[in-house]
Amino acid sequence: MTKFGWFKLASILILVGALIAICLVEDRLVISSLDEVNRYCYAIETAVNENEGIVNGEVASLVDNLEYAWQRSESKLCFMVNHKSIENLAVEIVRLKTYIDEEEPIEFYVSLDIIKNYVETFQHFMGASFHNIL
Amino acid sequence: MLTIVVRAVIIYLLVLFLYRLMGKRQLGEMQPFELVLTLIIADLATIPMAEVSVPVLHGVVPLLTLVILHYILTLLSKASSKFSCFLSGKPVIVINPQGIDHKALKDLDISVDDVFEAIRGCGFFKVEQIQYAIMETNGKMSVLPKSQFAPVTAGDMKIKAEKSAIPINLISEGKVNKKNLKTAGVDEMMVQDLLKKAGAKNVKEVLVMTIDKAGAVYVQKYGNKYQTFQVQPLGRVQE
Repeated sequence: MTKFGWFKLASILILVGALIAICLVEDRLVISSLDEVNRYCYAIETAVNENEGIVNGEVASLVDNLEYAWQRSESKLCFMVNHKSIENLAVEIVRLKTYIDEEEPIEFYVSLDIIKNYVETFQHFMGASFHNIL
Repeated sequence: MLTIVVRAVIIYLLVLFLYRLMGKRQLGEMQPFELVLTLIIADLATIPMAEVSVPVLHGVVPLLTLVILHYILTLLSKASSKFSCFLSGKPVIVINPQGIDHKALKDLDISVDDVFEAIRGCGFFKVEQIQYAIMETNGKMSVLPKSQFAPVTAGDMKIKAEKSAIPINLISEGKVNKKNLKTAGVDEMMVQDLLKKAGAKNVKEVLVMTIDKAGAVYVQKYGNKYQTFQVQPLGRVQE
């Protein structure tokens, strides 16, 4: 094989490796990010139910943590996923904080449900499945 | 805007690298599967450039996938002539000694006018001048003229012709190509002699200077007509 032939083969092998790495990293990143958001959502729901209201330190702290966790994940996900398709989640998290400040539990629950719905939907369309491929 | 500039640079360099990887054939005579690849690559490359919210990886990943697929298809078509035939088709004789093969034209879905256009492109204006015309897999026509219409060669005339030699570019746009000097076995002293002979004071006055194995020198100074002269044949040209 010529020098260029070897170079070509090595490049193709590196590209195959890069593709596999990108696919695996994306899959892990999406799953871990969405799982984290999901966990926070259920923790917030539990905290609201235990404290019988949204205006308390534990709920506010959990929402802050959720916002921080999502910001961290979002900056990583933007390398892999179309930013437009995930930006609504950040908007809903900000709304949660506003509803705590304004003491609006119904809207708070609606936003929380929207976030949970987003997470579920993202898991559907971001993951590799036969449905998505077609 | 800076994002778009940087993305454009990244995509450009990547596509350039991928085309180099796919080989020179990609730039000229393409097989059907190569044409499809080229069209898709052109389209994919623009997506992350035009849309800032789309990650660069959304353009890069399909590009890499296609190049890998192309490499595999090329390997398979090299390994199996049947697969190559399936992928690229096979050359079809459209003109034979009996004339135009109508059945072949029907199979290829081309008209008689297309055949005339293709043979004119090969320098023949009459079908009767052609022994065989073959439609190649890349869509080009190859023509074998009847012997009475074929160009006369030195071999036909039994003339002893000198071996053809590729001229080596010694000076290009006022700069000496040192790699080519080594290839031609020419040293700086000889270049100075050639410059003197061409009436040039220094290298910067010369637009182009070539020399072949037989010692034929072609020189053109900036703003002047070219001149040729003969020097001693080169002894140690690296083939």
